Amino acid sequence: MTTTAPVVAFDQVSKAYAAVRAVDGLTLALRPGETVALLGPNGAGKSTTLDLLLGLKKPDSGTVRLFGTGPRDAIVAGRVGAMLQSGGLMDEVTVAELVRLACDLHPKPYRPSEVLSRAGIAQLAGRKVDKLSGGQAQRVRFALATAGDSDLIVLDEPTTGMDVTTRQAFWATMREQADRGRTVLFATHYLEEADAVADRVLVLHRGRLLADGTAAEIKAKAGARRVSFDLAGTVDEAALRGLPFLTSLAVSGRTVRIQSTDADATVHALYGLGLYPRNLEVAGLGLEQAFVAITTAEEAKAK
Amino acid sequence: MNSLIRLELTRALRNRKFLFFSVIYPSVLFLIIAGNADSTTKVPGTGLTLPTYMMVSMASFGALTAALMGNSERIAKEREGGWVRQLRLTTLPGRGYVLAKTASAAVVSLPSIVIVFVVAAAVKDVRLDAWQWLALTGAIWAGSLVFAALGVALGYLASGDAVRPITMITYFGLSMLGGLWMPTTTFPDWLQDIAKWLPTHAYAALGQAIEQSRAPHVQDLVVLVVSFALFAGGAAWLYRKDTLKA
Repeated sequence: MTTTAPVVAFDQVSKAYAAVRAVDGLTLALRPGETVALLGPNGAGKSTTLDLLLGLKKPDSGTVRLFGTGPRDAIVAGRVGAMLQSGGLMDEVTVAELVRLACDLHPKPYRPSEVLSRAGIAQLAGRKVDKLSGGQAQRVRFALATAGDSDLIVLDEPTTGMDVTTRQAFWATMREQADRGRTVLFATHYLEEADAVADRVLVLHRGRLLADGTAAEIKAKAGARRVSFDLAGTVDEAALRGLPFLTSLAVSGRTVRIQSTDADATVHALYGLGLYPRNLEVAGLGLEQAFVAITTAEEAKAK
Repeated sequence: MNSLIRLELTRALRNRKFLFFSVIYPSVLFLIIAGNADSTTKVPGTGLTLPTYMMVSMASFGALTAALMGNSERIAKEREGGWVRQLRLTTLPGRGYVLAKTASAAVVSLPSIVIVFVVAAAVKDVRLDAWQWLALTGAIWAGSLVFAALGVALGYLASGDAVRPITMITYFGLSMLGGLWMPTTTFPDWLQDIAKWLPTHAYAALGQAIEQSRAPHVQDLVVLVVSFALFAGGAAWLYRKDTLKA
């Protein structure tokens, strides 16, 4: 397997607009069959990263390779299907006509009827593109991205404008794509999507890769488990601050909330202080909190 | 790329307003302008009757409409809406989009030329030799490429809200001052001096030369060739700039 080129390879890629470094020395590799979430707050450089990946923008420095070739070559070879947030649709034509065009343009096309039903828009086939709701238009974009047998599917904020039900149906469709052995890369700011769907999460912040791992690893990296408990009598904050593996402490009234990189050791030491915590709860951080923890730590470092 | 041309064409043929203005309207305008003219009065300095003269003007006008109006606004909109970006993620070569637009405009401009001819021959008894009809069709059709290039250039130059007024001003300015709506010989001298340098004037003059069975003026050919080079070069430059920015 080491002989096959990675699906996507960024090597020290940078891209700046005026004084803003949108992408800053990004190096990463995606392997075949992975479902990868690209996570980051607005302005983190997600869209620029995808534009560079797809060859829509040229990096100022560094190289972007897809399947060992340049992005444009990979697209011409039909290996990449992509759906952009900023990707428009041709209006005054029907959904079916547009999907047929996408199939015609793909070197390894599926049948248009197949593409329509898989994207869940068979019932919209005769509808004019300009008469679609936001969520429906997203599904049409998804259909265009999956018009043929591509090895890599790139989706930029794919569920924007979808309601909860449509969103769930959409991810079910996408998992099917992943199950066919495709590599799927999607950018999102919905953390629960990354948590539920991705095998691997890339956290991007100010154009740099802050974290790269499974959702569980990202959560662990953030420091973290939450410990909360109530104490009888007065709370000795100074003593609590001395607890091992503590990363944060918040006291409100008699309730204490702690974040710890080793919850077991922290709780053990708590008893060691002679305290008797009641209503003790130990829980993992959600990916969302982990994400906030990682990015705020980075912000603090930057200052 | 053929599938994109096909789809562009389907869309153009479905757009009734566009079809009316590019295919039907020039013939209607021809009948209004040439309707009361008798078939003996000549347009001064041309040796052509008014209906014969105006037939070429209106056929050129129709081809201009089809080539210029359809594309500039759509390109600007589709650039802004991101359709052009989406197409760049397909196997379609970069120029394919512009070529498909130009090809579909060319398909619409042909009937707009032919219908003016048919109306002129049937209603106003315009008679020409067979070679002249063919040469006229060919020259006006081919000449419309100049304005197709202009349409593409405007589509890449202007964005969103600005594109419509800019296209309209260009379109009416070129039509009126170029003498497509009335012979430039009716203009004051100073305006005639301006008009003869406009590509639309050279365009119609080409057709009128065919009607007069004489070789076209070198100046008209030069104006057309230079305009085409300018518009196509401008379109290519703006297209490349847009692609890098996207």
